[in-house]
Amino acid sequence: MPTLENDRLVFRFPQIEQDACFSIDFQRTLRIPDTQRTYSLPPGLGTFPLRHVEDHADNLPPQTTSRGGVILPMWQAEAMWLSFRNEGPEWGLQFPVAVKVAAGKINAVTGEGWRSGLHREPQDYVVSPEQPWLDGFAVEKGVIRQFVAMPLGDGYSVEEQLTGEAEWGGLQILVVPLKTRVWQAKRRAWEEQRKRRGEHGSTLMEEASIRFMACESMGLAAGGRMRQSIYPDPFTIEDWDIAAAERVFITLLHARDWKGITGEAAPNEPPNAKDYSSMDLPWFDYYGKDQAALPGGAALGGIKSVANLFQGMTGAKLPNSGDVETGAPKALGPGAQGPRPVRTLGLWDE
Amino acid sequence: MQRTKTDAAGAAFGEHIRKLRERRLGSDPSFSLRQVAARCGVTAAYLSRVERGEVAPPGEATLLRLADELGEDPDVMLALAGKISTDLRSTILARPQLFAELIRAIKTMPDNAVLRIVRDVRDGNW
Repeated sequence: MPTLENDRLVFRFPQIEQDACFSIDFQRTLRIPDTQRTYSLPPGLGTFPLRHVEDHADNLPPQTTSRGGVILPMWQAEAMWLSFRNEGPEWGLQFPVAVKVAAGKINAVTGEGWRSGLHREPQDYVVSPEQPWLDGFAVEKGVIRQFVAMPLGDGYSVEEQLTGEAEWGGLQILVVPLKTRVWQAKRRAWEEQRKRRGEHGSTLMEEASIRFMACESMGLAAGGRMRQSIYPDPFTIEDWDIAAAERVFITLLHARDWKGITGEAAPNEPPNAKDYSSMDLPWFDYYGKDQAALPGGAALGGIKSVANLFQGMTGAKLPNSGDVETGAPKALGPGAQGPRPVRTLGLWDE
Repeated sequence: MQRTKTDAAGAAFGEHIRKLRERRLGSDPSFSLRQVAARCGVTAAYLSRVERGEVAPPGEATLLRLADELGEDPDVMLALAGKISTDLRSTILARPQLFAELIRAIKTMPDNAVLRIVRDVRDGNW
């Protein structure tokens, strides 16, 4: 079973590899402008707090407690991205996992309804560490629409757009490890390669990892457009150990209700894109190792963004949705050079 | 006759059981000694002796039935009787060194710190 450690969901697979560990944290970030322009990656601005559902069962609706998992506070139209971290038995040898992500039980990669297990044609999951993070719904090849929170029932969430229902909200995550024999073969190959090179090589994920840091239910809606590729699975579908899969339901609560439910203060609202850019703070681009990218989810190509829906419902333009100047983005990934900046809470959460 | 340590523990356990049962008996006559004993699969005479601390606490199966009947947490009920559940025992015995070290390391931590370290995220119906 996964554990909750310092606001991070941690999945361990000691039956396959003693030190096999995969974890996810949920990064707060600014909402990129919801226009026709496609933006670079915004920074992480600290992690969302996570709490066990059963610790606050007295203050939560029965349907929330029956789903189990964790609760997370989000401000309306606040955005998030999922940061993945893989660890293995040695530095540089990470344990790969397949990760299926859904919002309101709508698959974020394909737009299909939730199905257990993993599927190809189309691939309905990502593989970490090849995919170091996920920022939104894959609407077309190389482009996602940002995960932004809106109150469930107001008609903005992707779940409501595609199903006509506001039943689930939140995020659903399934993590599947490699089968033992596949992992052992990968480990042997890595060890032989290291012997030949006589050195400790770094991997894609380590080089990419520094993008880090720098009771109303909420659903995830589609925000602005962002450059981000979803990479194809380098393994075969049979390589994944479905029987060892673990899953978690993350209920999103409106941040204004957080203190009443948990007794803890909710995080401050993050800055908007205009304020962030006016301080000349960086945006990022990720350069993979000549990796191909999957097409966007067929059902997701036609979803409307929050700004489009807002204009349709009210006739007015969504506030704070104008384009901003971002300057040249900083490169992340295997081809990036030099140290990468670290964003910390102190820059904005004071 | 001087009471032994085991006797004292048995008496405390018996008193706890009796208080739990009598609290419920105040609002529900089905919590008489005789009826509770019958539902737990023991005789009224035996349960009476348990409540008075005259015999050692019953075995695990009876303790779990008593916990269910009296609304007590099963692990708390077993601990009051000086026992740990079979599943916990087999878990510890499977990796004795690891769990011995773990328990010694966390024995003085406050509850919230322990929960942060070791708790699973529970899955539910969705």
